[in-house]
Amino acid sequence: MSIEISQLSKTYNQESDFPVHAVKSLDLTIEQGEFVAVMGPSGSGKTTLLNMIGGIDTPTSGSVLIDSENICELDDKALIAFRRDHVGFIFQDYSLLPVLTALENVEFVMQLQGLSEKVCRARASELLTMVGLGEQMHKVPSKLSGGQQQRVAVARALAPRPRFVMADEPTANLDAKSTSELLDIMQSLNEKEGTTFIFSTHDQRVIKRAKRVIVFEDGKLTEDKQQ
Amino acid sequence: MGNNSQVARKKAMTAQIVKLAWRNLWRNKIRTGIMLASMVFGLMGVVTMMGFLSGMYVSMIDNAIAWQTSHVQVQNKRYLEDPDINEVIVNPAALYSELDRLPQVSAYSARVVADGMVASARANRGIRINGVNVTDEAAVTPIAAHIEQGTWLPETGRYPVVVSQKTAERLRLSLGSKVVLTFSDVNKDVTGAAFRVRGIYRSPSSSFDDANLYVRQQELSKLAGVEGVHEIAVLLDASQSGDSFDNQGAELVAQALMKVSSTQNQIRDWQQVQPMLATIISQMGVSNGVILLIFVTAMGFGIINIMLMSVFERTREFGVLMAVGMVKSKVFLLILLESCLLGVTGAALGLLGSFAVIALLGQTGIPLGSMSEGLGAFGVDTTLYPVLKTGEYFGVFLIVVVASMLASLYPARQILKLRPVDAMSHKH
Ligand SMILES: Nc1ncnc2c1ncn2[C@@H]1O[C@H](COP(=O)(O)OP(=O)(O)OP(=O)(O)O)[C@@H](O)[C@H]1O
Ligand SMILES: [Mg+2]
Repeated sequence: MSIEISQLSKTYNQESDFPVHAVKSLDLTIEQGEFVAVMGPSGSGKTTLLNMIGGIDTPTSGSVLIDSENICELDDKALIAFRRDHVGFIFQDYSLLPVLTALENVEFVMQLQGLSEKVCRARASELLTMVGLGEQMHKVPSKLSGGQQQRVAVARALAPRPRFVMADEPTANLDAKSTSELLDIMQSLNEKEGTTFIFSTHDQRVIKRAKRVIVFEDGKLTEDKQQ
Repeated sequence: MGNNSQVARKKAMTAQIVKLAWRNLWRNKIRTGIMLASMVFGLMGVVTMMGFLSGMYVSMIDNAIAWQTSHVQVQNKRYLEDPDINEVIVNPAALYSELDRLPQVSAYSARVVADGMVASARANRGIRINGVNVTDEAAVTPIAAHIEQGTWLPETGRYPVVVSQKTAERLRLSLGSKVVLTFSDVNKDVTGAAFRVRGIYRSPSSSFDDANLYVRQQELSKLAGVEGVHEIAVLLDASQSGDSFDNQGAELVAQALMKVSSTQNQIRDWQQVQPMLATIISQMGVSNGVILLIFVTAMGFGIINIMLMSVFERTREFGVLMAVGMVKSKVFLLILLESCLLGVTGAALGLLGSFAVIALLGQTGIPLGSMSEGLGAFGVDTTLYPVLKTGEYFGVFLIVVVASMLASLYPARQILKLRPVDAMSHKH
């Protein structure tokens, strides 16, 4: 699986007198199994880029080819199915459903795929155990710490066996210890299961552990280095 | 097999959404609790009101049937156009034998009726003089049980009369008082006799009381020179006559009588005798409908309000649901279900409460107090027993649930219009 981005642009408020060019004619290729950090100052367009790759926002122009399929041309329904089956999302504020337990949160995204209850239950508890929450899986999010909630979010993102995981500042609300635990988990999943991770961050400690770092400034790619 | 498991998974998904909706409903326990409380008390008020109104109509109809119309009446057609004392029922014997034969007939009373005057030493009034067979009349109408003073017409003794309490008051009569009844005989000559008050009755309808008194048939027939009767009132078995709103049993008996009767007679069921009763029955549905509509509208706005609050404060959450691949139809179903479950819970609790209130009032009755004076003119009892049919409870339930689902359409639409990014960028 590969992600091929070509001439991707996003302009907000296009019609107005002050259009905002959040992403400008971007070309970028990400291969299967990469562990990519997107960094850059605030307002440089990181979130906008990740949203377009994840199929929750549409570009103004350009294309995002996932295994040669242009997701920008998918209709609403196909796009939802694409996200459900191929993209895992990890959000800065975790965004778990507060009325469901950790286990139910992870099961839910698999049930959306139409997997059987048994399969969902087994994979959800396996993933939660893997992220170190084997004992906590019947707790609702409000009874978990921020770091634990974010680990549930990682389990949820991986549950439907997505081709890649998008994480917009996943560690922004976490302390140093939780951040490093989370990175350990993401890294081991990346190495063991070959899942592609793309995350944006401001955090130098996170950037240090990425295999590839893309630097963004004012909607443009200014640096792209393997490390 | 593949198909079966697909159906099973779809079911599991729906069950999951129901579970999610139910838990979401109870996220804000206070808000949901207050809404439920207002639904429950509102429903109890509305349903009790409906039961009270229905009870009033039932009382009115039951009393009209008991005292005035019976279930079926027979008269000569010409008598109905112009109540001339000569227009008696043609060949009543055929009717009697059919009435004796029909199993659903519980009793019938043949009456000689004369319109005349009742006079005391103090005053006089126009009145309908009912010449009745003492036992037959007591079996058809509840008169014998409604004697306030004295007794029902005795079989012996000369010229007894039973008057209403109202007539007694107007003419300053008491037991043993003498009254003179005058009326035209078959030759259109004025005739009359002095009668002695043996009993004073009181029916639930003051207008009926104003207009009727009772004497023995032999004496009236003799005085007027009438051969035959003017009216046959037929009472059906309680089990055969249906409930207060249903005249099918009466229609059947009327049809059976028509087959044996001379065409000169007119045979009518109670709704034909008093078309107003049929109007009341249809009117009752309308008034109950209006009460319910007002309540449901108020409740609907309440639900729209809390659904708007609860949905908009979770805009971001719905954005996340869409982002992780929940299709819009399922998001829609989720919102609809939350509102629907609120409606189901509120309606179930409210109707349970209403049922208890109505059952309780059905035992104790509602004393009408000072209102009974005014309602007496319509033949309403002084104590009302609210009634509501099972079907009506069911109807109210359904309407409340449907209304609460409709109330979620607007908030749901607002959410579904958003793209996931827009929903997720929503801040609170
Ligand atoms: N919905 C929007 N409408 C208008 N302008 C927007 C919108 N979203 C983002 N922008 C603008 O687009 C530019 C890029 O924003 P974006 O959120 O992608 O930056 P970012 O790199 O994620 O910043 P941060 O590090 O603060 O999260 C910014 O100038 C921002 O103001
Ligand atoms: Mg951002």
